[in-house]
Parts: sequence; structure tokens; C-alpha cells
Amino acid sequence: MAGYVREVSRRVFAQEFRESNLTFKDGDDQYSPQYLLTPTGAKVNRLFIVGTLIEKEDIGTDSEYWRGRVSDPTGSFMIYAGQYQPEAAQALAECETPAFVAIVGKPSTYTNAEGTVFTSVRPESISIVDVTTRDLWVADTARRTLERVKDLDNMDSNVVKAKEHYNTDKDHYSSMVREALRSLKEDL
Amino acid sequence: MDKTAESIKSKFLELGVDIPLEDIVERLDKLVTKFKVPLDEARRSVITYFLKENDLDRNAFFGGQSTTPDSRSTPDVKLNGIDEGGKWVNIKAKVLQLWDSSHESVSQVGIIGDETATIKFIKWSRDMIPDVEEGKSYYFKNVVSNEWNGRFEITLNKNTLVEEIDEDIEVISSPMAGAGDGQPAPMVNVADIAEDGKWVSIRAKVSQLWDNSHESISQVGLVGDSTGTIKFIKWTSADLPDLTEGNSYLFNNVVAQEWNDKFSVTLNKNSSIEELDEDIEIASSSIIFAGAMVDVQSGSGLIKRCPECKRALTKGACMEHGKVDGTYDLRIKAVLDDGNTAQESILKRELAEQISGITLDDAISMAADALDQGVVLDQMRLKLLGKYFTVTGSKVDRYILVDSIEPQDGMDMEMLDELIADAEMI
Repeated sequence: MAGYVREVSRRVFAQEFRESNLTFKDGDDQYSPQYLLTPTGAKVNRLFIVGTLIEKEDIGTDSEYWRGRVSDPTGSFMIYAGQYQPEAAQALAECETPAFVAIVGKPSTYTNAEGTVFTSVRPESISIVDVTTRDLWVADTARRTLERVKDLDNMDSNVVKAKEHYNTDKDHYSSMVREALRSLKEDL
Repeated sequence: MDKTAESIKSKFLELGVDIPLEDIVERLDKLVTKFKVPLDEARRSVITYFLKENDLDRNAFFGGQSTTPDSRSTPDVKLNGIDEGGKWVNIKAKVLQLWDSSHESVSQVGIIGDETATIKFIKWSRDMIPDVEEGKSYYFKNVVSNEWNGRFEITLNKNTLVEEIDEDIEVISSPMAGAGDGQPAPMVNVADIAEDGKWVSIRAKVSQLWDNSHESISQVGLVGDSTGTIKFIKWTSADLPDLTEGNSYLFNNVVAQEWNDKFSVTLNKNSSIEELDEDIEIASSSIIFAGAMVDVQSGSGLIKRCPECKRALTKGACMEHGKVDGTYDLRIKAVLDDGNTAQESILKRELAEQISGITLDDAISMAADALDQGVVLDQMRLKLLGKYFTVTGSKVDRYILVDSIEPQDGMDMEMLDELIADAEMI
């Protein structure tokens, strides 16, 4: 299709993902793809995460609707897969916990009655991976997050928007990255 | 960790349940030590586990968080919003071109467009939908997006409603517009040629001339510039002067075509060639890319190719030669993603066998056992998705044609130390 470019899978730690609540569309068109802007300015339409699946539960009423919790060194991601994500739902149904999993998915947000925004991931694929892949992801995500933290000083429009909205504290996220990297180093 | 375990134990005691401390410690330890879960998360997970075991309400510990799935009626979309296959959508668009349909099962096929993009559409005969006309605008309700060969199209089906609308939909300047309007096609770099049917102009050097067997083709080979190389075909009917290997030319009004996952340019009677004095340097095409495999696309796994032209068959038929007895092949169309770029990569049989551990013979017997070619793709996805790889290869339009692929199977400690040092500096 004309001008079609696949959305890049962004790398964001669970803590930063949980602290995100700003969604927007690219352009004024109400049908443009939706993005989640994180406090360090990652513009996320798709993300790649690797972590430990520590809980899973079928919370569906009529049909299967799986909820899973995937932990990384900084916190955890909630993932939801139902009939519109058949492969991912099946993978979740068959997966044991705990297990290292890699997930490619779309960010999704839910606002409760009090106006609090909850972020979760709608998986496109879930696969079982080994501890090495998990460690590589932590380093990978640390690197991309650091790049964004460093870029917080520039005037890129996403960065400006993120800083305006979140009043982003650089130290908060650089220390999150340091913690994650230290945990990695200790394990090895 | 012991403190955490004790606090969990005492909380459960408050709820009237006595859980042996060592059970709590064992679960906590497994999560924290073996599965590297942070203590907070592990604690939460252990609590949830024992709540479930004892049939207790989560709300005893946590506030209720619930997420409801969106209501899923068919959305109106603009054409550039079509970015995945298998979606039901409504579209307002203008019919730009109707093509000759080669199959009686297809009643109409062509291009529609709106202000954001153009897209191919197909209308099947069996669905008995009234014909659309070139130049008119319609509201297409309940059409389905499809991905085919890495591109999107929409198909009309028996649930589709087509309503003509009065509004004349403005269309993005059409990439399908020919050179007939007297405007020279835009000058582009070879690497940027990524759209089937687009008219472009390029400045490039002829790097190879190949033998050709068809009298309808006068010359065929490779041309390149500083960004990449691309196959070219010069039709006999174009009546253009012959090109010399090693010379550089300005190619005006050539047409980009996608064939077998690769792009080529064709020189036709609307094209012109000017020899240039300068010597255009051709990019060395080998590049390295490292990233996680985030998709193994459809068209991967066990496929059949046309014995005549090697093109991959769809449903047993070759686009060029119709129904043929195909020959089996393996390939992987993968998306590698490093967090900044999503890189499509094509692995031919040897490499597909090497990383998937499935040989062509294995694949053929797997498919025979399951009566389904799709099982090979499923297995490959299971094995490969989410893992990190490094590939080398040549970049041809938006793909890397992979020459070698290696899994990243360990942490580079030096890199990790550098990252830590980097993080300390902020």
C-alpha cells in the first residue's frame, strides 16, 4: 500500500509504561493510528517486551478472555488477549507460569470512573523464550530508554509534548535504568 | 525475602487462612531467583496464587481494576489507516482505475483512493455486488483488508454494501498516474523505489547486463546508484538505444514493479535515456542489522513456486502461468526490529533451514501429516518469534536479502559495562 511503513516495536520498561497516560493520534484525522506517548517521549503504537509471565487467568464470561501479568526488573505489564487475538490467547492458555515470554503487541489504555488511566498490552504474538533473550531485552530496553532520557533536552515535538504533560523527571528514569542494569549485572 | 513471606503469611492469617511459611518462601524464591522477578511483583503474584488456591476474593488485598474490551463495530477508516490484514472496515473512496479481470471469479478489480492513499480492491463475482464505475465515489461498508505479498488490498464480500455518494472524493496525487501527462516522473534514489506501479526517474550506472531469452525484452540487468542496486528490464517495444555496462545514464519515466519480493524498473515507450558523463558510484550493498524477530510474515514457511518463473504460487496458481504443478521451497519473510527500525528480511531455503531447524523434507512431511502447509509457518513462528538475531545481506528496496543469520546467544559484557557507565553519567 502507498506509503505503508510498519510501526516499530518500541522498548519501554514496565514502570515507564505504567506511568504513561497520554494517548494521541498522528494528525487530525480521527482514524489515524493511535499512539501512547511515554514520559521519556517514546511514541508507541507497538511494543516488544520480554519478561516473566507470573500470572494468567481467563476472565472471560462468554468466550475466553485471558489476562496475564508479565514482570520485568522495574514492574509488570498487564496483557489482555481474547477472541480478536486468537494466537496470543491460545499461547497464554497453554503457557505455564512462571515462564519467560516475548510479546509483540499494541498499547491500550483504560480510564476508570475516577479518571485514572491504566495501560495494558494487546498482544499480537506471545512466545516462550529463554533467560538469555530476557537479559538481552533488559539491556536493549535500557539502551533505548537511556537514548530517550538523553534526548529530553532537545526540542523534538514529542519530547516537548511529553515534558509538558508529565513534567518528566530525568533522574527518575535514569535511576530506573541503572537499577535494571545493575540487577542484570548481578545475575550474570 | 523472609520478611515478605512472613508479611504474606500474617495477612492470610487475618483472612483466616494458615499457609505454611515454607510454601510461601518456595514460590517467592522461584520467582525471584530463577525467573528474575522483582520482589514486589513476586509478592503480588504469590498472594494472587494463594488467594486463588483458597478461593478468596482478590479485593481483600487489591482494589478492583477491570478492563473491558472495546465495542467492536466496523469503524470508518481512511485508506492510510489500513495497516493490518483481516480487519473489517468502512471506506469512502473514489474508483481510480478498473483493470481487466483475468479470472471469471473476479467481477471487478482496480484501484480506489482517498485523500490519504490509494489501494487495490477486488470484487468477487459470487457476491453479486453491482459494478462500480471509474471516476465515481462510493461508500464501501463492511469490506475486509488483506495483506498480500507485504501490501494491503481490500476485498468486497457478501456482507459488503456499496453506496454511490455525491461527494467527489479528493484523491492523494496518484502514484498510479502515468507519464502520459507530459510531466517527467520524480527523480528518486534507487533504494527508495518501493511502490509497485510508480513512475520514477533515476540516475544510475549499469552494473550488469544479463543474457535474456525473450525476444520481447531487448536488455535486462542491474543498475545502481549510491543507495542501492535494482534490476531493470528494457522492452523491445520501447525502441530505446542499447545500454553499455559500466556507463551511467539518466533514466526518465521508468516504472517500478514488484516481482517475487523484489523491485525492478521497466523501460517502456514512454521512457527516455540520456547517457551521463559522470561515473555514478554504486553502493556496496552488504549491511548488518541486529534486532528482535517481531514477525514471521505470511508467505513464509513451506511454499510452492512456479516451475517456469520461480514465482511463489498463491492457491496453486502462478500469476503469470496459471494453474501449475509447483515445486516446494522454504523461505522466511521476517521482520527484525531494533526499537528504532522495523526491518523486513528475506531468508532463502538454506538459511530458513539453518535457523528453524526444519529442513525442506521435514517441512514437506509435516505438511503432509497435517494436511496443511500452514503448520510449517506455525512451527517457525514458535521457534523464532521474540528472539534476537544478527543478519548480514544486501538491501533491496525495503528488504534485506539475507546472506547470513546468527542468533544472539549471550550478553556482551563489555557492552553492558558501557551501558552502565553511560547510565551513571546522566
